[in-house]
Amino acid sequence: MRILHVGTDSFGGYGGIALYNRELIAAMASHPSIDEVVVIPRIIVGALEPLPEKVTFVTAAASGRIAYVNALRNAGNGFDLVVCAHVNLLPIVRLVTKNPLLMLYGIEAWKPLRDPLSNRLLRNIRGAISISDITRDRFAGWSHYDGLSLLLPNSIRAEWYGIRPKNPDLVQRYHLEGKRVLMTLGRVVAAERYKGFDEVLDVLPDLDRDISYVIAGGGNDVPRLQRKAASLGIADRVVFTGLFPENEKADLYNLADVYVMPSRGEGFGFVFLEALACGVPVIASRLDGGREAVRHGELGQLVDPTSRAEIRVAVRDALAAGTGKHIPEGLDFFSYANFERRTHAIIDALAANA
Amino acid sequence: MCGIAAVFAYGTSAPSVDRDEIEAITERMRPRGPDAGGTWISPDTRVALGARRLAIIDLSDEGTQPMTDVDGELRIVFNGEIYNYRELRARLERLGARFHSTTDTEVLLQLYRHDGATMVELLRGMFAFAIWDPRARKLFVARDPYGIKPLYIADDGQTFRAASTVKALLADGRVGRAHDPAGVAGFWLMGSVPEPRTIFESIRAVEAGTSLFVGERGIHDVRRYYSIAATFERGVQDEAAAHLVQPPVLLRELVTDSLRHHLVSDVPVGAFLSSGIDSTALVALATEATGQPPRTVTLRFEEFQGRDSDEAPLADRFAKQIGSDHVTRLVTRDEFAADLPRLFDAMDQPTIDGTNTWFVSKAAAERGLKVAISGLGGDELFGSYPSFRDLPRIVAAARVPLAAAVAGYVTRNPKASAMGRYGSTWPGAYLLKRGLFLPEDLPKLMGVDAAHEGLRQLAMLDHIGETIQPDPGTPFGRVAALEASLYMRNQLLRDTDWASMAHSLEVRTPLVDATLLRQIAPLLMVEKQRCKQHFADSPRTPLPAWLSSRSKTGFTVPLTEWMQLRPDGTSTRMRSWAQVVMEQWT
Repeated sequence: MRILHVGTDSFGGYGGIALYNRELIAAMASHPSIDEVVVIPRIIVGALEPLPEKVTFVTAAASGRIAYVNALRNAGNGFDLVVCAHVNLLPIVRLVTKNPLLMLYGIEAWKPLRDPLSNRLLRNIRGAISISDITRDRFAGWSHYDGLSLLLPNSIRAEWYGIRPKNPDLVQRYHLEGKRVLMTLGRVVAAERYKGFDEVLDVLPDLDRDISYVIAGGGNDVPRLQRKAASLGIADRVVFTGLFPENEKADLYNLADVYVMPSRGEGFGFVFLEALACGVPVIASRLDGGREAVRHGELGQLVDPTSRAEIRVAVRDALAAGTGKHIPEGLDFFSYANFERRTHAIIDALAANA
Repeated sequence: MCGIAAVFAYGTSAPSVDRDEIEAITERMRPRGPDAGGTWISPDTRVALGARRLAIIDLSDEGTQPMTDVDGELRIVFNGEIYNYRELRARLERLGARFHSTTDTEVLLQLYRHDGATMVELLRGMFAFAIWDPRARKLFVARDPYGIKPLYIADDGQTFRAASTVKALLADGRVGRAHDPAGVAGFWLMGSVPEPRTIFESIRAVEAGTSLFVGERGIHDVRRYYSIAATFERGVQDEAAAHLVQPPVLLRELVTDSLRHHLVSDVPVGAFLSSGIDSTALVALATEATGQPPRTVTLRFEEFQGRDSDEAPLADRFAKQIGSDHVTRLVTRDEFAADLPRLFDAMDQPTIDGTNTWFVSKAAAERGLKVAISGLGGDELFGSYPSFRDLPRIVAAARVPLAAAVAGYVTRNPKASAMGRYGSTWPGAYLLKRGLFLPEDLPKLMGVDAAHEGLRQLAMLDHIGETIQPDPGTPFGRVAALEASLYMRNQLLRDTDWASMAHSLEVRTPLVDATLLRQIAPLLMVEKQRCKQHFADSPRTPLPAWLSSRSKTGFTVPLTEWMQLRPDGTSTRMRSWAQVVMEQWT
């Protein structure tokens, strides 16, 4: 059995979708009945991670639009399954198949696509794999898609994280000596104002003065949030890290006493798994995919992101719990082994359907 | 759902509380809670609590009120429902709280113990309650954000009294019955008494979304913890959230979540069904959420037969389509005449509305229902009143020189003539649009001096203006805040309370929910009146066009025909009906 994976980024990519694709490709390739997974990437920004066995990675595809189209054409038609790893790629995937397996992550699938052609192409997809129930429901809600629809949530390699003492260099760099730390990690851009940064800033004045808030990430919305923090009189309690190197991420999470992200736009919320893998208690939103990342309250607290009172109380409860950092057993639900098992089950289901 | 009462003799010269008084107040509310009742007097005889109970959650005796916490310390009387009590209880248990019942009432006690006065911000529901805290020697009193459940107080400077109805506070005779000229003026202006006024000088409403303490020096720490206008203002700021999800899908999620909470009950929950979008979409979503349609009730009037205002045929057609166990209840003039004395007795304060709810609640109770959901609030939420279209036009037109004078001259309409005086501001335009009478009509209705004094005290335009502070930021937001804070609160919700409770029926309003409003405010600010159609499209099987494209009609009864109301310059003859109503209070 041969699989063609047509995606935006994976190996050599940065961010949540790239990571998800790498895990998906590896898990597909490890299925005993898979002979080859051919990967056509649109973007490569960094060094390639080691490729799993049976994976053919068409590096040349990432050198431009024409190269990408050519790579697809050259890939041929001899595939048993074509994975369209982003809804925006549906028209181009049409070059190789009418019936791709479509991957759905988050907001890109929550409302009709801008391009009418893509909306029409949805009628023929072989199936849809969603990262979360909320994405599956919202996609079905507007598209009225009622074909094969399966769930494949993110996985976390807990061994890459772990509980560590607060890194003294980072504590000093961000002036967090003696502070209790709230943290949100993500892109700080105007187009994603649903992330929950504003909501946490709004409750910070109600919290004890020894509590600081670290916004880990950079983007064009930082100046606005800085002004907002100043207007709330909490500028000295808010830290903007800006972009940070990937190898500092685990240490960054370990600075936090509570990870809080009362967002409305997460398809899943992989960052919650990362924080949990560092033993940090998390507060997620009950209005987006975050609720599934914390397994509806089993792994962390849930709040209504529109309720300042709920956020305030959840932060206070989390800080007052004083149970120390620990990695919850339930996090194993999202282990790579389980991800791989679920991926294999999906391949088996597709083979049975075929 | 209950009737509650509290008396706190806080002043040093106040006489001890009296068992006869608390029992008289409580007994007056028996229809609100026919299942059980009780009173409690503190050992020092300074505090008395009383309650009548309509058992809906935890039907056992453990739910009887006044209720104490597991330590026998705090005591509560509570009217309403806390729809998120299970989540709150789970949190409190994690924090070490212990419980002796499975009621929402007891959750309030533990929440107060843990979070103090800020507890009210965590509640999703309709509520009015009083908690006696013996250590602090304080009574903590609170009312829900929208003002769905009523709570009235009388404070003579020595003794504080509270009850679910105005008439209950009067039952023992210790609270004065002198009319409040401002309350009377408010009724003539708006067709209902604007809170916190009541028709009586000595009684005030605890305002919606407010909590307060009563200590040994009286009322203190009055706190407005919720504002509809501020919620809309925030919605404008959070506009990005409106663009994430297709509107009908988002509405389905959020309204279904509200419905799921409003369906929490240990007894069956039915539904009022009309031929409008709000009730039919709610019934459709409730059916999707539970897998089974609720029992439904619609009213029919012979006087409306063959007219657009006859809701029965389309409601019946929809009920058949969705498969609900449906009853269309015929109401006749004879039945109205027979019920009228009881209706006026139940009417807690003068109002021109409530007759419709009286009969639909009666019909639901006849079906054995204790709880029914209603689409009330949908027009305020989704902007389907004519006021959403008309108010911005009035404000704009009144600011054009001479436009108001020309309109008045051409139409010969008194309200058009008054446009120049009132129409150029939002509060004035609202008074003009929603007013039953105008201020200049009041001297002939209540006398020159009383009208002057009543209008002065009432300061109606200031009062209306307060409901749009902070500025909701858009015309839609302003009208929505005005309608929800004034017409819906003072008339629809208040009338629904007395008219349903008279039949021992609890009406739940999933579209009147502070959590829902917070969550959909960004969408409302972007989509405005289009939200009504989005709501019609929100069920997995959208409402059929014969329902969703039908012109809006109000939920009315044929009062004109039944009462032979004389012409009064309005199409509904509500001015004439108001005078009939007011005669009951004089």
